[in-house]
Amino acid sequence: MTETIELALKTLEAQLNQPLETAMEACARCGLCAEACHYYRAEPKLEHIPAQRAEQLRSVYRYEHDFLSRVFPAWTGARKLDEITLANLTEIAFSQCTLCRRCTVNCPLGVDTPLMMRAIRAMATAAGTAPEILVMLADAAIEKGRDPSFYKDMFLEQIKEMEEQLREITGDKNASIPVEKQGAKILYVPLAGAHTILPPAIVFNEAKEDWTLSIFEAANYGVFLADMGRAKAVAKRIVDEANRLGVKEIVIAECGHAYASYRWDVPNWFGDQFNFKVHSLIEVLAEYIRDGRIKVDPTAIPEGVTYHDSCNLARNGGLIEEPRYVLGKITTDFREMTPNKAEAICCGGGGGLVALAEYTERRLAAGKPKADQIKKTGARVVVAACENCRLQIGDLNEHYHLNVRITALTDLVVRAMRLAKPLPGTEADHLFEGEEVSVPRE
Amino acid sequence: MNILMFSQLLALVGFLCGVYGIYRRYAETKRRALPADRSPLKGNPQHGITYAFTLGMMPWAKESTRIHMIAYLRGIGFHVGIFTAIGVLISPFWGPRPEALTLLLTIVLGIGSLMGAAGGVMRLAERNLRGLSHPDDHFAVWLVTVWMAVAALAVWNDAFLVAFYLLSAITMAYIPLGKIRHCLYFFFSRMFFGKFFGRRAVFPHPEAAK
Repeated sequence: MTETIELALKTLEAQLNQPLETAMEACARCGLCAEACHYYRAEPKLEHIPAQRAEQLRSVYRYEHDFLSRVFPAWTGARKLDEITLANLTEIAFSQCTLCRRCTVNCPLGVDTPLMMRAIRAMATAAGTAPEILVMLADAAIEKGRDPSFYKDMFLEQIKEMEEQLREITGDKNASIPVEKQGAKILYVPLAGAHTILPPAIVFNEAKEDWTLSIFEAANYGVFLADMGRAKAVAKRIVDEANRLGVKEIVIAECGHAYASYRWDVPNWFGDQFNFKVHSLIEVLAEYIRDGRIKVDPTAIPEGVTYHDSCNLARNGGLIEEPRYVLGKITTDFREMTPNKAEAICCGGGGGLVALAEYTERRLAAGKPKADQIKKTGARVVVAACENCRLQIGDLNEHYHLNVRITALTDLVVRAMRLAKPLPGTEADHLFEGEEVSVPRE
Repeated sequence: MNILMFSQLLALVGFLCGVYGIYRRYAETKRRALPADRSPLKGNPQHGITYAFTLGMMPWAKESTRIHMIAYLRGIGFHVGIFTAIGVLISPFWGPRPEALTLLLTIVLGIGSLMGAAGGVMRLAERNLRGLSHPDDHFAVWLVTVWMAVAALAVWNDAFLVAFYLLSAITMAYIPLGKIRHCLYFFFSRMFFGKFFGRRAVFPHPEAAK
């Protein structure tokens, strides 16, 4: 047995807890999960059935753990892990599954196939066969946490410039983007780029919130690698920052995997060190509108708008009604995709896939069911509250000629706030106002 | 000892092997770590678990079972037959019984075995199912199907009792060895499903923001 295989098997053993063993054992191979998967919907073939994908790991597990499989491997399809099998498993877990859990929801037994795909990702990462770019991005984030001083001055400089824009847009001379404010109530954690800082800053200022901006970004590539060590190290930067500043609440930018991990996983990783509430920016927007802390024009968005449920926010995160509440307050022509909410179809960009250029073709092909859904609504605007979904739907827009505009929910809320000036880069959005919706519903 | 008693003894041994094997599996799984979840609740895990075993199992609850309603109902009929056959096997009430009960058991077991046979044929005939299946899958479905058919005959006519007990011995002993052991993991799986989605208020889904 080579060192690579040994490491992979050791990692599998280390992960084998009750839920994972259950996922390994429960499948009856009934095949009902097939159409649940966007890969299968786009290209119906055996390899795209979630049960078949999971079977590749099960065969290895059986060989290691099942008496009958060790004696008669062919009887149960058991197989010893070797380099070729590991390479195949890696390919499957990183390029043919976005960890969306739609198969789990549709399985009569509730088999958690994404949990198995995570197990493979962890095995691949430990064995050194995981996509290098994800490892590099995770390591870069960890490095940034070790010595923030390296880029902090530049970051503060950029924030200062953004503050100027903020004042111009809001017409409020006192509007600010506080960074490292001791004792603030909220620590807002953005993504890389001004587009996830300026719109929320407008909202926070308008709501007179006691907030501060994190110097780190919410994305966590360690999560995509299913590498607990790296994922925890990336998250620790923000946990430490929140503890240092004494905030009460962490608000995560519109990002699916970051929300799901900080809301549902990180509290388990840090135990008593984690005494904060975690909210998505979407929940905060809903709360501000509900409490009247920000005023929005209910007729501000006249064009047809549809909402894409990010799998990490909706099915895996429980944020289902909140974005719809917000959209209900700012749009006049909201159109649901079918299916939606917990049954929503994945756009194909999750699980870190948008970062993996080598799988672009596969990703775009798998996104066809989502493209078809969007087309059917006839909407001009697609709202996605997750950066990876937005990037993927943007690519689908181009690839499938959808002729839609993709936007974050916060950007739309800011537009509905009717400020002195539009957000930079969204000036054209205003052209839509009052315009007839020319794309008919099907 | 006559042949009937011998077959009953074998069935008992097979049954005990099956129970022991399943218990071993259960104990092994329970020995594994169960990650504690400290994240603050949004929904209710208990409600999620209740949903997972009740409304969540309804044919209309999932897109997959809405699309494949007939296949799902076939599976339900098959499993109802299996549990009835187990009931017949362990029932102490052999001997005279109401004719209506005999008829009912024969029908349920007969339908179960027909559903099983249909499943077995589908597994051979349908491209995806054939691709997903191992010899173990084919063997398991046909073993249980024949066992149910013989159970139906045994309920109707005592002449089939020996065959029923002999087949029961094999079926029961095989449960923990092959794919049939998913009967144990069904309960684990639905429970984890309910806990996960219940905690997040996804299933059952309350209208969170009103």
